[in-house]
Amino acid sequence: MASVTADSPVKPGAFWGTRLLSIVLALAFCFGIGAMEGSIPPFAFRILVLAGLYVTLSVSLNLINGITGQFSIGHAAFYQVGAYVTGFLTINYFDGQPLTAIPWLVIMMIAGAAGAGIVGLMVGLPSLRLRGDYLAIVTLGFGEIISIVTRNQKALGGSYGMQIEPKIQAPWLVWLLAIICIAVCRNLIKTAHGLPFLAVREDEVASSAMGVNTTKTKVTAFVIGSAFAGAAGALYGHFESFITPDMFKMEVSFIILTMVVIGGTGSITGSTLAALFLFGLPEWLRTLKGADGNALQIPAPQVIAALFGVVVFVACARWVRDRYHEKGMKLAGAYGSAVGIAVVASLLFRPLAALIPSMAETSWEINSLRMVIFAVTLVVVMLLRPEGVLGHHEFSWAWLRSLFNKKNKEVQA
Amino acid sequence: MSEDGMTDLQEEELDRADLIHSEGGHVLSLMDATIKFGGLTAVNKVSFDLSRGDLFGLIGPNGAGKTTCFNLITGVYKPTSGEILFHGKSVAGMKPNQIAHLGICRTFQNIRLFGALSSLENVVVGGFLRHKTPLLSSLLLMPSAVTETAELREKAMHLLEVMNLADDAHTRSRDLPYGKQRRLEIARAMATDPSLILLDEPAAGMNPQEKEELSTTVRRIRDEFNKTVLLIEHDMRFVMGLCEKIVVLDHGEEIAAGGPDEVRNDPKVIEAYLGEAV
Ligand SMILES: Nc1ncnc2c1ncn2[C@@H]1O[C@H](COP(=O)(O)OP(=O)(O)O)[C@@H](O)[C@H]1O
Ligand SMILES: [Mg+2]
Repeated sequence: MASVTADSPVKPGAFWGTRLLSIVLALAFCFGIGAMEGSIPPFAFRILVLAGLYVTLSVSLNLINGITGQFSIGHAAFYQVGAYVTGFLTINYFDGQPLTAIPWLVIMMIAGAAGAGIVGLMVGLPSLRLRGDYLAIVTLGFGEIISIVTRNQKALGGSYGMQIEPKIQAPWLVWLLAIICIAVCRNLIKTAHGLPFLAVREDEVASSAMGVNTTKTKVTAFVIGSAFAGAAGALYGHFESFITPDMFKMEVSFIILTMVVIGGTGSITGSTLAALFLFGLPEWLRTLKGADGNALQIPAPQVIAALFGVVVFVACARWVRDRYHEKGMKLAGAYGSAVGIAVVASLLFRPLAALIPSMAETSWEINSLRMVIFAVTLVVVMLLRPEGVLGHHEFSWAWLRSLFNKKNKEVQA
Repeated sequence: MSEDGMTDLQEEELDRADLIHSEGGHVLSLMDATIKFGGLTAVNKVSFDLSRGDLFGLIGPNGAGKTTCFNLITGVYKPTSGEILFHGKSVAGMKPNQIAHLGICRTFQNIRLFGALSSLENVVVGGFLRHKTPLLSSLLLMPSAVTETAELREKAMHLLEVMNLADDAHTRSRDLPYGKQRRLEIARAMATDPSLILLDEPAAGMNPQEKEELSTTVRRIRDEFNKTVLLIEHDMRFVMGLCEKIVVLDHGEEIAAGGPDEVRNDPKVIEAYLGEAV
């Protein structure tokens, strides 16, 4: 896959052609999403919308954590600011103004971005002036503060929550936002302007010696990232139409962070795929039904055996990674064998797990295993590929083409 | 979101032009520059002047305060007392990035490249200092930003050729061998288009042939690119063969100054370097 950033920069020639094509494709995609409403089951549609929001959240956090190398761990707080600010505006000002629902929602999206961006500036400016991990502490604390403030403000509905009237749903806009977020971050690292951001991540002292205003660069990344989270929050609030402080708990921040880490800090493609996979998988599992029509129950020994299988897989895969110096199909075969061994180990272990007294009768609802899946994925990625699944790599058309050319060459040879 | 207005940039360019064209005066003057770290006086009342086009050496045993001098000049530290003038203007207390904009750039003794970036990208970071397009036009991928990126990369490529690194343009800088990393640091500093370039032990870890090539390159930087060069070097042979003026530090104090021959025969210098061949 193409190496980082501007090393595969956009070429000035053929610029408008590709660009128009991308824009048309993006609009067609958003239109398609909108058109799907009604033709797919409501729960699937809901997942599609929420997945789009998580793509925005993880890609925007990646701008801060991955590309610029800062450590923000309270992204959900900016999501919340966007939802609450625009919820408040809609409740109080929607009636009696001339706009219809959709243009109003677009304006709310911008307002959410502005609100979260301003809050991001106030949080980021003092903490990013300093070197080190102050940002992590400050963003952690900020999440708690926002939570306490909303819980205690009557005007914001307190702990009970806030009913946003009217409910305005625009799934296509959710995905348009996601695409804009991806495009903006990608444009940044594809042009020279992105290099100071990456340079700050690599070495702050050297960056400033090269004339980079490190504080300004970090704050810029933080504000843009927060603004996108705020815009996503505005759409989320209006989509759900009922928001409570619990919907923006620390847990949400950790999920977004996990997506960035697993996808590969710095890789926009990685964050996008991780958001889709890590959000989509548990949601999909939740919809699985057992034979009795209720939520699927997984027997505890099964879960324990599966975890055992994961452990065996990690051990085998690490051995392959460090000791097995073949390439291509042989390497793929080795990893395949690792999976095979893990499955066999898991199957063999299952009867053993069932021997543990009280375990045999226990079973867990699949939905409650959601966080377990997150945690296990995170641990596996950290152990096997600490730089994230995609590392610093990005998807690009050039990469696709080069794959194709390589195949051609091999055929010729 | 738009990062810096054009007015800022233009003013800055004017400042720089003013500075550089104020001919006659010294490029750099240290006047009793002093810095104390707690009880330790790392640099003690050091004074020297660089004229335009100088190839100036700063030498001294380990721990003499040479790198600290560079850190004072480039704004990493603020002098406890004394003055540092660049083209007659005080830079003491300015931030490193402001000083880089004025036209002083440096390399690091303990190489500090942007490891995950390619050689070319490292150099573009240096060149980016003189960019003109606002951030917003890059975020929206306006043609101006695309063109500027292409220009910056072209300039960077040229510098890589000068430093004989063109073949490694797309290699991650952390994967380069040591000697090439040192040269890449020089290319990156050159990309900021400084009028004064500071090289901190550029020959460290190089073999004799590489050192020979480096001497040629440093002369080229001065003669073809019209830079004033201040370099720190531990290898006495290297410095004596290359620099026309030399200042010797020991324990933070300036113990000698002058041409290579003067300095070489100075009893204080011989004492400071006791045991080492001068
Ligand atoms: N930030 C600092 N804090 C405390 N002491 C320092 C600091 N920087 C340099 N020194 C001390 O200043 C002295 C000079 O160091 P340096 O300038 O690196 O020497 P050199 O001439 O070998 O480059 C050393 O004794 C070093 O320990
Ligand atoms: Mg030193």
